[in-house]
Formats: sequence, structure tokens, C-alpha cells
Amino acid sequence: MRRLFCLLFLLFAAPAWAGGIAFVVNSGGASISVIDMATQKEVRRIPSLREPHHLMLSPDGRSLLVGDTAGNQMLFLDPNTGAVQQRVPMADPYQLGFSPDGKFLTVTGLARNQVDVYDSGSLKLIKRFPVIATPSHLAYAPDSSTVFVSLQDSDKLVAFDLHAMTEKWTVPVGKTPAGVMWLNGRVLVADMGTDAIAVVDPANGSVLDHVVTGKGAHNLFLSPDRKILWVNNRAGGTTVSLDSATLKPIRSYAIPGGPDDMEFAPNGKIWITRRWAEKVAVLDPVTGSYETIAVGRSPHGIWLNPKAPSPAVISSR
Amino acid sequence: MGDPFDLTAGWVQEHLLIPVLYQFGLMNWEDVSYGWALFALYGAAQVAVTFAVCLPLERWRPVERWPDSDAVWVDAAYTVLSRVGVLPLVTYVLFYRAQVFVGGWMADRDLVSPTLEGLFPVLLGRQVATFVLYAVILDFADYWRHRLSHQFRWWWALHSLHHAQRQMTFWSDDRNHLVDDLISFVWFGFIALLIGVPPLQFPLLVLVLRFLESLSHANVRLSFGWVGDRVLISPRFHRAHHGVRAAGDRSCNYGAVLPWWDMLFGTADFAREYVETGDPSGDETLATGSYWQQQWAGLRRFGCVLRQRLARLRA
Repeated sequence: MRRLFCLLFLLFAAPAWAGGIAFVVNSGGASISVIDMATQKEVRRIPSLREPHHLMLSPDGRSLLVGDTAGNQMLFLDPNTGAVQQRVPMADPYQLGFSPDGKFLTVTGLARNQVDVYDSGSLKLIKRFPVIATPSHLAYAPDSSTVFVSLQDSDKLVAFDLHAMTEKWTVPVGKTPAGVMWLNGRVLVADMGTDAIAVVDPANGSVLDHVVTGKGAHNLFLSPDRKILWVNNRAGGTTVSLDSATLKPIRSYAIPGGPDDMEFAPNGKIWITRRWAEKVAVLDPVTGSYETIAVGRSPHGIWLNPKAPSPAVISSR
Repeated sequence: MGDPFDLTAGWVQEHLLIPVLYQFGLMNWEDVSYGWALFALYGAAQVAVTFAVCLPLERWRPVERWPDSDAVWVDAAYTVLSRVGVLPLVTYVLFYRAQVFVGGWMADRDLVSPTLEGLFPVLLGRQVATFVLYAVILDFADYWRHRLSHQFRWWWALHSLHHAQRQMTFWSDDRNHLVDDLISFVWFGFIALLIGVPPLQFPLLVLVLRFLESLSHANVRLSFGWVGDRVLISPRFHRAHHGVRAAGDRSCNYGAVLPWWDMLFGTADFAREYVETGDPSGDETLATGSYWQQQWAGLRRFGCVLRQRLARLRA
């Protein structure tokens, strides 16, 4: 009987304390929304200084880094609770990413036209690369030898050699290059100025192919099982799934309001920020329908921690 | 339910601006266009609220009645250009760039870029308290900018355009020479960089402040009472500043929203009643010309003062 009670307790109580926590960065509202994944409700907002955009978990999993561009500050949050660990001065941190080997943190300074490479442990600046225009998104080669950065206000993609700390090449790849991803030995670049993503040779930046996804192709994401490539099309207001091996489109979903960043929940749902709608869409890719969660102005970066305790329980402790 | 301004700006962005930007290969402007949509909406709301409140007040208890109000229409154009058009966008983009540059330069040197919230961390997340503090500091800075614009002859040559209007109404708040606007931008930009004013964080509260500034110019017999006039600037208080006898460096009541600075620095005059407005020393074009005629006349007056100054220096 006691076992039965224990089982019943786990069945019904578990969702309350292991519901998970979602962080959504409100770039126009100078805050980070904390969402209870179980109830899909915003429970509180963490104030940032000015204009936060993107976020990334540290390699040791102890901190969630949020870059505040106009605030020139990097916020370190506890990924389980959202508690602010520290605020570190940093020049114009827009997009950020740790190299696969965990050695480097690359930060793009969109407004200051610079790409900074930091030692990921000490956060000491190793190298600053000045670039011609608005470095936006970034992706690493799997061996951490190279980082690729899109220059959004130009038509170019730039590659930096992280061993020699030199620029390898800067080449035109599309009208308004945005999202970047390494996939199957190629670099994919979403071109917001057109309706396609460019397939780029990482060796020299030459464009090998174009894959049409939708108007204003903006950002790229790979499903956790690596089988499906997801593309958000900013102008078309769609999210498109493609076979990651063949790049053949599978299905298009209408996600109005400027779909931008994306995260995958363990239950198969996909969380998408909608920049001009003050909402997050929680898309069921099977039915194609989505639920919405109200957040702050211009929601941009998003990160899910499904293993974290429910934020509602934390606040009641 | 989200903020109605944000959602409307989002609709404008998605359905009107983005299709145009995409069509013309200008998608790299999409962040700026959203900022403009927000500015334009808040600006339009400022104009609409001001119009809805001030016009009935002006009809109800006008200080003056005029046979024709052609000169007022030019002031209306100033308001629309200043609050809904490209001016606020240019200001926003320039200020944003300057803020990022200065903050980034400091962050490179392990310095924290100055912000009130940095000085007083207790303000983080307390948006209204933060805004009130920013507003008081900026109002203080505006008092001195305005007072100095009356003291220096070259500056007054530009600022006199604002004072030339004999038919002062709630539209007159924005009738300024473009160079005077530019100086204001640099002035506020400098102060804002010192204290780290966030450009788009408090739009609704900015709307309230701009409304009070417009109201203070209204052609209405309205005072907030003995105490009220000493808390917020009323049309009665500000009209004394625009009086014909108060033009140039003999003026009083320089404040924009709060009369405290005038009281503190001895320039407050609560005694003057509803006086005639205008600047008798200025060219008639400054008062009744078209928008561009006024701008050109202001520039000529400015050039004239500079030439006199140069001649005096040479002599």
C-alpha cells in the first residue's frame, strides 16, 4: 500500500516540482521572463540593464549567460532558479557561443562591428576582430578550429581561424546573412534578404547551393535527434522543417509575429519567440497548432531547462 | 494581453513595413523599422491625447481669440514632424549608437558604463521610480539648456523662432529651429550618456511628460492653484516666459515640467498674468512664415549674430 501511495505521489506531485523553467529574453523590455514550463505561465521577470538579446549555457552548466548589448554587460544567471550570480562589464555582447571544445567564448558586437574571442574560463579577451558590418549570428566547426560569423548589414560571411587567431576569408553569401549553422560538413546561412538558405563550403566560403524555405529566412535550428532542420522565416511568418540529410522541405507552419529563436522541449513541443507579438509560440509539430505565452517586448533569445524545479515552487520556499 | 502600443507597432511592422523592406532588399533595417513604428505610434498618441485635451480647454477659456489662425497650422506641422516623423528616429538611432560606443569603450577597460541603476542597484526592476529620477535630472538639465539659450545672443538668434509665435497654442511646444534641436540633442545626449538614460524603456511616461510640455503652451486661462503651480508648470506659469516683455535675456520661468529650478535659482515669476506672447525684436517671417521660411529666417539671424561677433573679435 505504501508503495502505491509513493507511486501516486510521484505521478501527481512530480509535475509540480519538476516542471522545468524557461528563460525568454525581452530585448525591447530590458528583462528576462521566467516561465514555468509546466503551467506555461510567466512567473516573474529578471531586470537587465538595457537591451539583452541572446543567452547561452556555460560549458560547466553552472551559469546561463545573457548578453546585454546596450547595457554593455553580461549577466550570469543560475540556470535552475534564475538568480543573478554576477554582472560583468563586456562590450556590446549580442550573440554568444562557446566553442565545442569549451575553450572559447565568441561574442559578436553587432553595434560596434567587432567579433571578440574570449577565454571561456577566465573571460579574458584573447582577440578582437574588427569586421566591416554588424556581426550577427555565429557557428563553430565541430573541431573548434573555425568560427563563422554572418555580417548582417553586408552580404558576407566571415570565417576566423581560432588556432592562428586570424581571419580566413570574408565572402558574399546572400543579401542579408543572418542565422549560421554547421551541418554535415557544410555551413548553412539563412539569408533574410531572400527566401532561401545558402549552403556554403567551409573551406573557402563558396556558395554550393540554395534551398528555398520562405521569405526572410532568418534562423536555423537542429532537432535534438539531429534529423530535422528547422528554419524561421521572418518576413513570411513561417517555420519550416527540412530533412537535415537531404535539405528537402517537409512541412511549413504559420507562426506570425516575426518568428526568431527556438528551443525544443522534451515533450516534442517547439518553443518559438515571436518578436513583434510579445509572445512565445509553443508549437505542436504533429498537429501544427500552437499555444501562446505572453512575455515582454520583442522576445528574442530563449532557453529551456526542463530538469529545473518549477519556478513557482522556488518562490514559495 | 500585451501592451497595446507594442502589439499595434508589431502589426504595423509585420503587415506594412516588413513587406516593403523585403521587396526593396532592405531587411537589414528591420530592427530600426520596428523602433520607428513604436516611436511613431507613441508620437501619434502624444499628439492625439494633447489634441483631445488641449483643444477643448482652448475653446473653453482662451486667453486670446484670433480672426485667423494660419500661423498655428505651421506649429502643427512642427509637432507632427517632431513627434511622429523621422526626427525622433534619427535621435534614437544616433543616441543608441553613441551609448553603445561609450559603454563598449568603458567595458573594454573594465569600467561599468554609467547608469543610475548601476549607482543605485535598488532601482533595477523598479521602472517607475527609475523613470521619475531620470525625468527630474533631465528636467534640471533642460532648465539650464533653456536658460543659456536666452543668455547667449547666437543661441537666442536660433531659439527666438520658438518665441516668435504671437498665437501661442499647445502646438507651439515643438516649433524650434533645426539647429536649436540639434544643440538640444547634443546637450541631452551628453547628459543621458552620463547617467545612462534608456531610450525606449519608458515610452508611456515620456508621453505624459510631453503632454505636460504641450499643455504649458496652450492658449488657455489655466492655473493649477497656488500649490499646484509650484509643483508642475501650468499654462499660466509658462505663458509668462513667452511674454513680449520677457523675450531674450530678460525672461523668467525657464522650466519645462517642474518649476522647482526657477524657484531654486531665482528666475520664477508667479505674479505675471496672461500676457501677450511673441518676440518684437524678431523678423516677421519667424512669426508668420512657412516652415522653411521660418527655418531660413532663423539661420539668417544666427549668421548675422555670428558675423557681428567675428567683426567685434577682429576689431
